Amino acid sequence: MWEIDESDLPDFCSKPTLVLGCGNTLFGDDGFGCAVIEHIQDHYVVPDDVCLCDTGTGVRKLLFTLCLSPIRPARIVIVDAIDAGRAPGEVFEIDPTDIPVAKQDDFSLHQLPTSNLLRELQQTCSVVVRVLACQTGPLPEQVQTGLSEAVSSAVPCAAEWLVREYFSSNTAPRNDED
Amino acid sequence: MATKTLVIQPVTRIEGHAKVTIQLNDAGNVDTARVNVIELRGFEKFCIGRPVEDLPRITPRICGVCPWSHHLAAAKACDAVFGVEPPPAAKKLRELCNSIAYMEEHILHFYFLAGADFLLGPDAPYSVRNVIGVLQAAPDVAKRVVKIRHMCAKMLEVLAGKPIHPQAAVPGGFSKPLAPVERDQLRKQADEALELAKFSIAFAKENVFPKYLDVVKSLGVITTGFIGTVKDDGALNLYDGKLRLMAPDGTYETFPYDRYTEFIGEHIEPWSYLKFPYAKKWGDGFSLDADNPKGMYRANTLARINVCDHIDTPLAQTELEEFRKKFGRPAQLTLLYHWARLIELLYNAENAVRLLDDPEITSTETRVKVTPRAGRGVGCVEAPRGSLIHDYETDADGMITNVNLIVGTTHNNGPINMSVTNAAKSLIHDGKYDQGLLNMVEMSIRAYDPCLSCATHRLDGKLSVKLDIFDVDGEFLETLAN
Repeated sequence: MWEIDESDLPDFCSKPTLVLGCGNTLFGDDGFGCAVIEHIQDHYVVPDDVCLCDTGTGVRKLLFTLCLSPIRPARIVIVDAIDAGRAPGEVFEIDPTDIPVAKQDDFSLHQLPTSNLLRELQQTCSVVVRVLACQTGPLPEQVQTGLSEAVSSAVPCAAEWLVREYFSSNTAPRNDED
Repeated sequence: MATKTLVIQPVTRIEGHAKVTIQLNDAGNVDTARVNVIELRGFEKFCIGRPVEDLPRITPRICGVCPWSHHLAAAKACDAVFGVEPPPAAKKLRELCNSIAYMEEHILHFYFLAGADFLLGPDAPYSVRNVIGVLQAAPDVAKRVVKIRHMCAKMLEVLAGKPIHPQAAVPGGFSKPLAPVERDQLRKQADEALELAKFSIAFAKENVFPKYLDVVKSLGVITTGFIGTVKDDGALNLYDGKLRLMAPDGTYETFPYDRYTEFIGEHIEPWSYLKFPYAKKWGDGFSLDADNPKGMYRANTLARINVCDHIDTPLAQTELEEFRKKFGRPAQLTLLYHWARLIELLYNAENAVRLLDDPEITSTETRVKVTPRAGRGVGCVEAPRGSLIHDYETDADGMITNVNLIVGTTHNNGPINMSVTNAAKSLIHDGKYDQGLLNMVEMSIRAYDPCLSCATHRLDGKLSVKLDIFDVDGEFLETLAN
């Protein structure tokens, strides 16, 4: 009835690798995912087969589109802050299927984005979903911007991990003189 | 039989902590039902001491679901604080962005959120009543929806630089004029969106609503007043106008935004973090008793359709006339929110076309200067979920000294509780309940499209719901879960 061309679809559907930086930059360490995306964009050349998105607090709309799209990425990497009881600033990977049940349904400001949808994209739609998380520092008493020192230090580390895993081998860091 | 408390935690649907607690009486019938949603606290306090012009940039991050609504309400509040009137082109550009953002929202809700209930049926097996079920049942429709939603996002990017967390509306106007060549491209895209809007309401009227009219007539039905924005001539408007508060009997008062505190009071209940706005102007006080509600009014799509006298776009007006012929004015059936949502979708598509055809939309005069001053300003827009009020006070340097926000969903806090109570009462008798009641209760909440609700089914059809049953002494009895 209606024809749809691949050009009608957003890059986040059509590129093989999708990296989503999630979080609210107004809420302290919750802005970790967005900071990582910004760091990569500032320091690396992003290859054509990778789509980087700073989704802020709007990732669910994007995930809905992915669920319905006839074309999806082969892999999605979520970059987000989480309170998992580890040392502040520790960067670690989570498989959505490994998220503890209590964590899946225990929302907080640092809740992973729509963890159920991610798990189901993986299990039902054959999309490889990985989550790169950073342990947040203690929640501040009041809402405030800015990453804590420990989480801020983790940003380049997380960026390097992503580049190593997903950027092609001939991707060099950006030269600011270029 | 000891009284029992049923707790439903529809955790896939709510951003933040939320649960439904149902209290049964000795006979096993529903006594009360309460919906607890955690409001994002601290945001108003966070804004104090900041330059007021920061708020259109900050407030879109309150919520990732309706950033444009907060952005525009904040810009309007800033206009009022500074005492300026944006140029006509700026107002039209803001309104155009609002209409496009609305289309994206309403398409998402009808097809992705409510769609699984209606397109597949509330009684359909869980294995198909989900987003993938919609995709499998109507693949062409799903493709079209993906395309149009993406197109709306690209349109917003052309207008405002970015679709997520916008920054283009500024105090005094709009930061970026629309070039004629951009307008021409957007005009073609608006036509495509209009075609989907026309298809959506025709599809729903033929395939959805007639099939589930019994459910529409019975689920979560309550009687309340309504609130929404109208223009001076009583026409529906989602960007600007005056607030109209309608009583259950259809009588109403219309007032400017900055007088909202004369009409709306805020009640606090000890069991909920979310305040309960009520119509204090009616003088009845506050009561959530579904059989004898006091001060209760609703916001969001059905409310706006009820309070307006007419819609000033032809296709949506025709639909409104048909709707009123069937259901009267004001229409009270909760599930009619979905029908009203499609009328609004059509209005917004027509409005986008109309604005893009207006020669003034490409004027380069999009902003006036502002000067910091001590003042108070109230900005209000109709967010998809209801009247969104931003109320700011500043000192002589233009720094925020006080902020009050009433978001759309907050207006509906009381009515959502009433609808859930009624839904639960109709479904639970003599202590008997089952998993099916969970979705029916959630349907009554989903109709309101609460902003804190990520109301989707799991792709595998299961509900991810846990039902803990306690006795009146808090002793755990059993858990129903999937």
